[in-house]
Amino acid sequence: MNGSRHYPNRRDMLKFGSVAGLGALLTGVTIRPAFAAAGQIDVIINSDTNVLDFWSNVIKPGFEAANAGVTLNLVSSGGGAGADALAERAFAALQTKTDPQTDMLEAYGPYHPEGAIEAGLWVDFSAVGVAGYDKLNPVTIRNAWSLPYRGSQVVMFYNGDKITAPPTTFVGLIEWIKANPGQFAYARPDKGDSGACFIERALQEVTGQKPELFLGDNYAADYADPMFAKVFDLLKDLAPSLYGGGKYTAGNTPSIQLLASGAVTMTIAWSDMALTALNEGVVPENTRVAQLQDLAFTGGFSSLVVPTSGLNKDLAMKLAEYVISAEVQNQVVTVLGGFPSLGWDQMDPALKEKYAAAAPTSIPEFPGPWEPALFDGWYREVASNLTRD
Amino acid sequence: MMATRVMVPKGRTLLGWALVAPPVLLMLVFLIVPAVRVIATTFHTKGSPGLWTLANYQSFLTDGYALANLSVTLRTTFVTMALLLLVNFPIALYLRFRTGRLAVFIQALALFPMFVPGVIICYALMRYLGPNGLLQSVLELMGMHFYRTPIGGFWGPVIGLVWDGMPFTLLVLTAGLSAISNASIEAARDVGAGKWQILRAIILPQVKTTLTVITSLNFLSLFGSVLQPFMLGPASPEMMGPFMLRTFSSVRDPLMAGTQATITFLICSLAGLAYILTIRNRPDGGKT
Repeated sequence: MNGSRHYPNRRDMLKFGSVAGLGALLTGVTIRPAFAAAGQIDVIINSDTNVLDFWSNVIKPGFEAANAGVTLNLVSSGGGAGADALAERAFAALQTKTDPQTDMLEAYGPYHPEGAIEAGLWVDFSAVGVAGYDKLNPVTIRNAWSLPYRGSQVVMFYNGDKITAPPTTFVGLIEWIKANPGQFAYARPDKGDSGACFIERALQEVTGQKPELFLGDNYAADYADPMFAKVFDLLKDLAPSLYGGGKYTAGNTPSIQLLASGAVTMTIAWSDMALTALNEGVVPENTRVAQLQDLAFTGGFSSLVVPTSGLNKDLAMKLAEYVISAEVQNQVVTVLGGFPSLGWDQMDPALKEKYAAAAPTSIPEFPGPWEPALFDGWYREVASNLTRD
Repeated sequence: MMATRVMVPKGRTLLGWALVAPPVLLMLVFLIVPAVRVIATTFHTKGSPGLWTLANYQSFLTDGYALANLSVTLRTTFVTMALLLLVNFPIALYLRFRTGRLAVFIQALALFPMFVPGVIICYALMRYLGPNGLLQSVLELMGMHFYRTPIGGFWGPVIGLVWDGMPFTLLVLTAGLSAISNASIEAARDVGAGKWQILRAIILPQVKTTLTVITSLNFLSLFGSVLQPFMLGPASPEMMGPFMLRTFSSVRDPLMAGTQATITFLICSLAGLAYILTIRNRPDGGKT
């Protein structure tokens, strides 16, 4: 996010006309890591701040202590298009046989840019013999080029004093929202993704609970639009019963804040952020977490991808091995509140006993290529259909 | 005051160029070149990259959703601009004519927002003005139950932006007012002018330039603001800042985001032009 504080230079800058203003807007959304240096691994983080904190406070010090002379340069991408641009640049660099200046992308998949897999842009983890790869929980592996390292799921996060029996089906949830107007909030879909998962689950509901309708390679406007129209109708109908008569929070943290202040009774949150909020006392102790029993909210395992042509590829592979080691995976559970990608039999026995039963055997996912059109449609159809004060 | 032309020795001219070269180069490489490249792409479509066309602009100007966003951006900008002047001009007048501890305290209080990062202010406002926030709790303790939070509506970003823009506006206004000589005010008093007459006939004409400067600068920063509208405003309509950002990063349509940015730039350049003209017409060429 771009801060807006630039007073000291503002006057000088604007003497050149407002080109500067436009430039600031344009450069503000473009990111670029430092030039690649030997011994410095450039890792692009695409997740929310709690994950960046986890990398800064757990992975970076642990890895640097074990590998003298190596430093991790953690860069937040600030959004999907930022990481896309870096992947495109890495692909271009591969074709001109130059250094991509990016050694690892976090929470990123191998499917962008098109043709990158075939051209050999990404490391094939199944083929190169990464230590620990065979010990991963097989349900977490989506493809050979992404290395899963943490799982998270979207859950209902609610006030346990006011709700004794949370809804177990999506229909039940909609009924609850309508019966308790103003007591439920979800976030805008493009901010933090918890709201996105709610909308995607609603989409799966209006299309008959068939997640298999939505695949990574079958998005087409003609196919999608009739289904989108149905889900937008459902969500428009729901809007008056939401918090503030149809206000949508600006992200994961603002949603949790509404719950913490008692302004709403239930919201939608990522399981890892919900657990962190509980552990840190951000929300009252009576706050509970529940999952739908008919078809769970979407979520997924976040993966790492590593360009084959990076200057520090060998170090990046070493880092990848460290991230899926038991040492880090145990902390994915204890510090981050996520699900480990490492098989439970490799984990700390105490953690295994405590969490293994609660962990899902699979986490339904919603394919990324569907999201831009779905989210933009939501803004135009659902969010704008409000009478404002 | 007459501007006099001073002959500068040749070596000094070169030194002058050398001094301005780094910032100009920086602007050129990091702002102007990328901006011109983006503007150029907005005159092509994805389908036919070789063809020059206004199709992107046509699609913006026929898109009711985009126009609603543009309109809310203009409304928020003008309302905030008016409020900033309304709040700060009286404070600036007070600071011009009063000295002492209270004046210093008021000035410090008004400049305080400058030292707090915008995102912190947003979260603080959400907690203070938000639902079940401190303000609502206090009002309800006093038996008043009418309060509905402005956060998430039109007034949310206006409040955030007024807070954020206050120090800068006040600094420019106090600087402008301090340029008015005591002698002219005392002279007016001597011939029996009242407070309102002094304000209307002596002060306002002399701060006209300052008012144009602060209005155009405020326009630029308000029109392009991202943080406050995104954190404190509604999901829709969106102000241009968050709208552009979303089009770029979530809709993943850099071309349309560039078109929106160019339109924003054109509107802002009007304010930029007003600023440059005002500065140029000042007797000292804007050096003070």
